[in-house]
Formats: sequence, structure tokens, C-alpha cells
Amino acid sequence: MANWLNDVALGDLPLTGIACACLILWHVWTVVRLRSRFKSQLGAAQDVNVRLSDELEQSEAAYDDVAWALAQSEAEIAELAALVDRLKEGIARLEQLAAYERAEAPTIRADRQPELLRHAGQMADDVAGLKGVAMVFERWHDEMSSLMVQNRDMHAKNDELASIVNQVAMLALNAAIEAARAGAAGRGFTVVATEVRALARRCEALARDYSVSLHKNDMTTTATFQDIQAGGKMMMAAISGLELMATQLRAKLD
Amino acid sequence: MISEQARRSMEQIFINAAKTNLVLAPSDVCEVAPLVPGRAQGNREKNLLLLTISAFPFRLLTILQAGEHPLTREYYLKGKPGRAFGEVFAEVGNLCCGSMNRELTRHFPHLGMSVPYFLDSRCMPFLDELQPEYLSSCAISINGSARLQATLCVCAYAPVDFAVDAQAREETTGELELF
Repeated sequence: MANWLNDVALGDLPLTGIACACLILWHVWTVVRLRSRFKSQLGAAQDVNVRLSDELEQSEAAYDDVAWALAQSEAEIAELAALVDRLKEGIARLEQLAAYERAEAPTIRADRQPELLRHAGQMADDVAGLKGVAMVFERWHDEMSSLMVQNRDMHAKNDELASIVNQVAMLALNAAIEAARAGAAGRGFTVVATEVRALARRCEALARDYSVSLHKNDMTTTATFQDIQAGGKMMMAAISGLELMATQLRAKLD
Repeated sequence: MISEQARRSMEQIFINAAKTNLVLAPSDVCEVAPLVPGRAQGNREKNLLLLTISAFPFRLLTILQAGEHPLTREYYLKGKPGRAFGEVFAEVGNLCCGSMNRELTRHFPHLGMSVPYFLDSRCMPFLDELQPEYLSSCAISINGSARLQATLCVCAYAPVDFAVDAQAREETTGELELF
């Protein structure tokens, strides 16, 4: 280095020109190299963004599925309410018959016996038919089970989304550091990196919100699922009790 | 809609069921102490065991949470090589809830019970979404080593009023609940 400076001092102007040209070339090469690194980082960030969009789309679709399944559950709850009404009607008719039997059975005229027997038989058949409600409960059980599986799938997708968002944030941070090191040449990339970081922060908040919604969904879905399941067992037990009463009534009248 | 005596009765029914069914041997000592509701601990694990008892006027959710303390796992897995903790814990919880179900049947003839289901403990803050009328939590310690937390969550849809005997009998045997 000292020799080179001495040479310059000696006025070796052509050599100085070559050195300057080399310096300029070195700077140009540095800028080209940085551009290429930024391009590759930007490309990676774009890839991650595409994956992020895909994941978001998939999550939204899964969320729609759950909303649809919940709407189905509501319709089925209405169906359950209708069944409960039918059950109540059956209970009322049975109670009427039982009250009649208690109050008037000793004085039933022989000519009314066949009519009462027919009513009691019809009652027993109705109640036995109601036991078919077990099939409805089985159906709901299967549907609710698939809903729970979907919930688990959505949790997995959301975890994947959160992991991608973390990668995006890291990439954006690296890009910002590289851009700062490049000085004026990296100014444009600094803007891009800052925007990508802002997007990553928004995605992070979205994934967090999504996770909260999923846990809330888990609690309400599971509680509803269990209520339907327990309610189904309660109704089956009640129907079995009614069936026994109806059979006993028919046997008494027979 | 849930009377004070009904609340006390549900707590008493749970305490009796817990003392009888959450222990593996009758000689094991089970202590139950009240806690602030909704303060379930622990974290990203699926360690909330949920069971529901439904009646026309109410539904009662029993939530049992096994602590992450190794002594709790050790207690429940003792003498059960090769079995998963969750499976054993679900059986124990099912027996406890089945015992509550039997006791409640004395006051509510039409009742049904769900099968057990595990949830992530991060779901716990969302119990409020069910709009419960009554929440009660307690810490359970068995032989001073195994530790659990339990929460009773009651949603009422009609007035609920009943009372268990002041000296509610404690069951000495647990019947097998099928699920």
C-alpha cells in the first residue's frame, strides 16, 4: 500500500486512473452483489407470503366448514325440540290413561274394555317407535365428532400459520439489517423490509386472534356436544320408562 | 335461578363423589379446598377433562384438571404399566361424575351424562361463553402428593332448588360407568 502511494506521489497518473477504475468497479460489484442478495431474500419473502395466503385461505375455508356445521347443529337442536314435544304429548296421553285407570278402572264396563285395550296398545307402539330417536342421536354424535376433528385440524393449521409468520418476521428483519449495511444503495430495500415486517406483525396478531377464537370454539362446541349427548341419554331413559309403563298398562287391561 | 341451597348441595355432591372416586384406595386421604373459579393452571396441554350432566332445567359441567406435577401422574399410573395417563384419568373422572349423576337422580329423575372429553387448558377462560349461573372451583390433594383442580359450572334454564341431606352419605363403592 505504501509503495503504491509513493508511486502516486511520484506522479504516476495512469496507474492512479487504473486504481480509481478498480475502486469504482469494486463498488459496482458490491452493489450488484447486494441487489442479488436482496432479490433472493425478497423472493423468499414472496414465497412465504404465498404460503401464508394459501394457509389463510385454507383456514378461512375450514372456519366456514365449522360455521356450516354449527348451523346444522342448530337445525338439529330444533329437530330435538320437536321430538321433545312429541315425547311430552306421549307422556300427557299416558298420564291421562293412567289417571283414568286409577279413577275408573274398577268400574270399567266390559263393553269399553276393547277400546281401552286398543288405546293402550297404540300407546305402547307409539312409545316403542320413539325409541328410534336413538338413531338421530347416533347421527348427531357422528356429526359432532367430525366437527371436533375439524377443530383439531384448524388448530394445526393455525399453528403452522403462526410458524410461517415467525419466519416472515425473521426474514424481514434480516433484509432490514442487510439494507442498512448497504447504506444509500439499500434504501429502497429498507422500505420493502419495513413493509414486510409490518405485514408480519399484522399476520401475527391475526393468528393470535384466530387461536383465541378456536379455543373459544372448542369450549362452546364441546359443551354443546356433551349436552346433546347427555340429553340423548336422558331421553332414551325416559322413553324406556314410558315403554315399560305402557306395556304394564296394556297387560293390566288385557 | 339456582337457589343457595342447590349450590351448596351440588358442591356437597361433588365433594362426596371426589373423595370416594378420585382416590385409588379407600385409605387414601383426599382433601378439597376452595379456589377462585377459572384459575385453572398449566398450559398448552390437553389436560382439561370435561364431563356434562344434563337435566331439563340445567346442565352441570364438571371440569377436572390434572396438575403437571409428576406425583399426580405417578399416583394414577401406579400399578398400571403401559397405560396412558389420559386414559386412566378419564376413567377416574367418569366414575366421579357417574357418582354425582346417581346422587342427582334422587332429586331430578330425568338426567343424562356425557362421555369424557379432553380440552386444552387455554379453553378455560371461555367457560363464561356458556353463560353459567354458578361457578365453583376447588383444589384437590390426594395423600398430600397428587394434585388436581376441579370446576363446577352450572347453566340453568329454569329455577333449580333442591337440598341434599345435611349428612349426605358418602359412597363407599364406585360403580362402573360405561362410556
